[in-house]
Amino acid sequence: MTFGQPWFLLGMLAAFIPLLVHLFDRRRPREVPFAALDFVLRSQRRTASRLKLKRLLLYLLRTLVLLAIPIALARPSFATQDLAAARRGVAATAIVLDTSLALRWEGRTRLFEVAKDEARAALRNLAPEEPATVVICSRTPTSVAPVGFERARLVNAIEDATPGYEAVDLNRCLEVAARSLDDSPLPNRRLVLVSALTQSSLRLESSPPLGAGLKGEKVKPEFVVRDVAKGKELPNRALVDVHAEAAPQLGPRAWQFTFTVRNFSKEAARDVELLLEVDGEVVQKGFVDLAAEGTAQKTLSWKFAKGGVTTVTGRLEADALPEDDAHSVVLSVPRALTALVINGSPSPQKYKDEAFFTEAALAATGSPVRAVLRDADAAWREKLSDYDVVLLLNVEAPPAEAADRLAEFVNAGGGLFVSVGDRVDPDAWNQSMGGVLPRKLRVIKTAVEPGQGDADTRAARLTQVALNHPVMVPFTGRAREGLLSTRFYRYALFEGDAQGVETEVLGTMDDGAPVFLSARRGKGRVFVFCSTVDRDWSDLPIRTSFLPLMQRIAGWLTGTLDEREEIRAKVGESVTLKPDPNQSPAWARAGSGAEVALTALPQGDGVTGGPMPEPGPYLVVDAKGATLEKLGFAVSIDAGASNLSRHSLDALSDWLGEESVRTSGSGGPESSTPLWTWLITLAVIAFFFEGLLLRK
Amino acid sequence: MLLDAATLSRITGLKLRARAVVEGVLSGLHKSPNQGQSVEFAEHKEYAPGDEIRHLDWKAYGKFDKYYVKRYEHETNLRSVMVVDTSGSMGFGTTGLSKLDVGRIMAATLSHLLIRQQDAAGVALVAQGRFAEIPPRSSAGHLGAVMDALESAVPSGLTDLAMTADALAEKLPRRSLVCVFSDFFDDHQDALKRILALRSRKHDVALFHLVDKAELEFPYDDPTLFTSMEDGRHVEVNPREIRASYLEEFNRFLDATRDACRAADCDYERVRTDEPIDEVLLRFLGRRGGKL
Repeated sequence: MTFGQPWFLLGMLAAFIPLLVHLFDRRRPREVPFAALDFVLRSQRRTASRLKLKRLLLYLLRTLVLLAIPIALARPSFATQDLAAARRGVAATAIVLDTSLALRWEGRTRLFEVAKDEARAALRNLAPEEPATVVICSRTPTSVAPVGFERARLVNAIEDATPGYEAVDLNRCLEVAARSLDDSPLPNRRLVLVSALTQSSLRLESSPPLGAGLKGEKVKPEFVVRDVAKGKELPNRALVDVHAEAAPQLGPRAWQFTFTVRNFSKEAARDVELLLEVDGEVVQKGFVDLAAEGTAQKTLSWKFAKGGVTTVTGRLEADALPEDDAHSVVLSVPRALTALVINGSPSPQKYKDEAFFTEAALAATGSPVRAVLRDADAAWREKLSDYDVVLLLNVEAPPAEAADRLAEFVNAGGGLFVSVGDRVDPDAWNQSMGGVLPRKLRVIKTAVEPGQGDADTRAARLTQVALNHPVMVPFTGRAREGLLSTRFYRYALFEGDAQGVETEVLGTMDDGAPVFLSARRGKGRVFVFCSTVDRDWSDLPIRTSFLPLMQRIAGWLTGTLDEREEIRAKVGESVTLKPDPNQSPAWARAGSGAEVALTALPQGDGVTGGPMPEPGPYLVVDAKGATLEKLGFAVSIDAGASNLSRHSLDALSDWLGEESVRTSGSGGPESSTPLWTWLITLAVIAFFFEGLLLRK
Repeated sequence: MLLDAATLSRITGLKLRARAVVEGVLSGLHKSPNQGQSVEFAEHKEYAPGDEIRHLDWKAYGKFDKYYVKRYEHETNLRSVMVVDTSGSMGFGTTGLSKLDVGRIMAATLSHLLIRQQDAAGVALVAQGRFAEIPPRSSAGHLGAVMDALESAVPSGLTDLAMTADALAEKLPRRSLVCVFSDFFDDHQDALKRILALRSRKHDVALFHLVDKAELEFPYDDPTLFTSMEDGRHVEVNPREIRASYLEEFNRFLDATRDACRAADCDYERVRTDEPIDEVLLRFLGRRGGKL
């Protein structure tokens, strides 16, 4: 214990006054003849023991009052660092304030409030001649002001600090703090670490930081650790991941969400409530059982009433750290699509009909596409703007008027799918639709005549698939192998890229010929398959990959494929978005209103912004403030930050060597009420009881 | 007009004090206490020279041819004894009059009233080892002797009510009014019982319990050395510390005395030395229907 005004301790001598009064106060009592002396004697005998106790209590209370007041005036504190300071002399001090996610943990009081109190107390306990600085330890510690005597500025820095949503690098912050002390002319340095001491923020593998002495030599500073958790564990559970996927087996626009929940505490939890929220409304509820320090998964599904961009949030029953109990994803639920399927080679036999497999694929359970089948002659009389996508299946080259309407349809945002066949004349197509196709057709190549004995072995095969394209994303692993085993007997060859036209090749044959070609035209998209969608030239229609392929092609052509599912950003990371050419995103806006500027990447690779300051869904707005709904995304908390396992104080003592480690539970200045206040209160209470005893 | 203790204390001489109180009492009663007297035949006696001739019974001479003289007994309404405690504690007083002063004024007043109505009144001044008695007489000249005896009383020695009770039982031949003026601070446990036992001998017993204001309120604050007024005992105490206990003890004693009197069918009057004496006597007489 140390004292701010030790001279006042001399006042403690006053505690002897009651004793001296008792010993030396021998005033001669007044002599009074009294008739009822027997009653006086009887009363004295009766009250003797009680009076003795009362006098003792009075003596103690008076002594307590006379002791408490001078001690309180001496401004005592339990600050061990002050002892250290007294032992080692004044020291330049840097206070490192942890702002990691753990500081958001809230028992009776939020840990960050305790941390600020600790930091303020550490500052208050410094001797006036000790220069100081404060390091607010966020993910990336900002530059630190040199040590000085401007206490008000440091107090403001502590007041302005806010806790983050991620783990911080306390080792790095300690190094920064140690360096900030290098310029001090004082020989002694002190680092005060105010932290929850979580393992995710403080690594004990590396050695404690060293500072530079007056002559440039390495100096080990004095360390004082203020444990804001007061030595207690910080149990926590978190929703660490949400995996969203379409569930066509459950119907159109049905999705299922697999939540991963981790329990970081040493106690199991049963029936923890898990809510599924869609656009802020709870639609499903489930319960999970969590083993101690275990992980559990829970799947909930939901069928969306309509398509569009939707924010889906999983929310776990709140614990002491509610920030990591929610996890959001932004989905683009495919809207219902209407497809005009133009059959260029109809056949009364189903299996030989050009559109049979395509129509079946688009009409499969869970497909968002409603197909309308027309032959070529009838199709050109249709109003194309009533459809989202037009599929030309082995159709002769459209007449000029129809070609113009198709080009207009695509430029206006429609999707056009073209598959070739025996009705396709490359020259005629190039003439009428050359401006729309990704590349012009050259010739039809026959790898092997279908029906020949060795046709299956001599047929051409896919060798490469652009798995990064949204259409091809699902075709990984065995699905990819199934797609690559497709046999092509006859297929169209294309010209090279025309200048200024961007064409994506999504798959190539073993001879290098493109199989799938895509391109954007105006606001619309065009996708060309080099072979037939019946079994005449290829066996793709009877492959298991055909159904999802056609559905995804239809989805991509209409822009409903959720390319942003891949955005799985964490707090503190940057996000890269790929807007449409006609979009110019400027800001990403968090739920709290915080905005992050987005800047364009070179070569038109999209826009990027960050670091993302908080978890939750983000809206993307352009410079005019208009919301770009399709670019919305969600940011989550890193699971590592949710792990609030702490270093033991013994481990810290070992790490820091012989330096002192103290917790905020030891009744020191971390208490919001200073010790002297309690002493004064004690004195007042003692005074009150003394008066009470005297009145009796 | 009733006389308070302060006023009475300024009157010197017991006779004047008693007379002042008597006048107050009489004016308060509004009724003459004189009950009259009667002459009653007692016996015949053979005439002897010197006997009153007028008392010769001529009818008896006619019958027996001898001279007989009628003897009569002069009947009084009441014989009374004023027993005044003159122990040392009776000398205590903080309001101008000591308990003994108040006791003897009351005794003198009652004696005055009794003799005035031609009852016999006597006085007994008692303390340990002392029993000074003036036997009851009804003559007007007897009042002076009673007053003188009362006036000469000096408070000293211990209280001994048991001895007093025994002496009274022995000396009072027939039904009498016994008025006891005392503070009843007697160490003897049976003292009060023995006083009250006079009631069983057909005596009319009235106890006047004299209490000083200081005894009732214990108005001391600073550490005080209390000394006994009867022996050499003393004690140093802080009165504030024991006040509650003292008052509890003292009130219990007063209540016990009063209850014992009621149980023994004796009159009990608590007399504060600072209250008007005529008021006390009026209260006492009023309770007895205005008669002694």
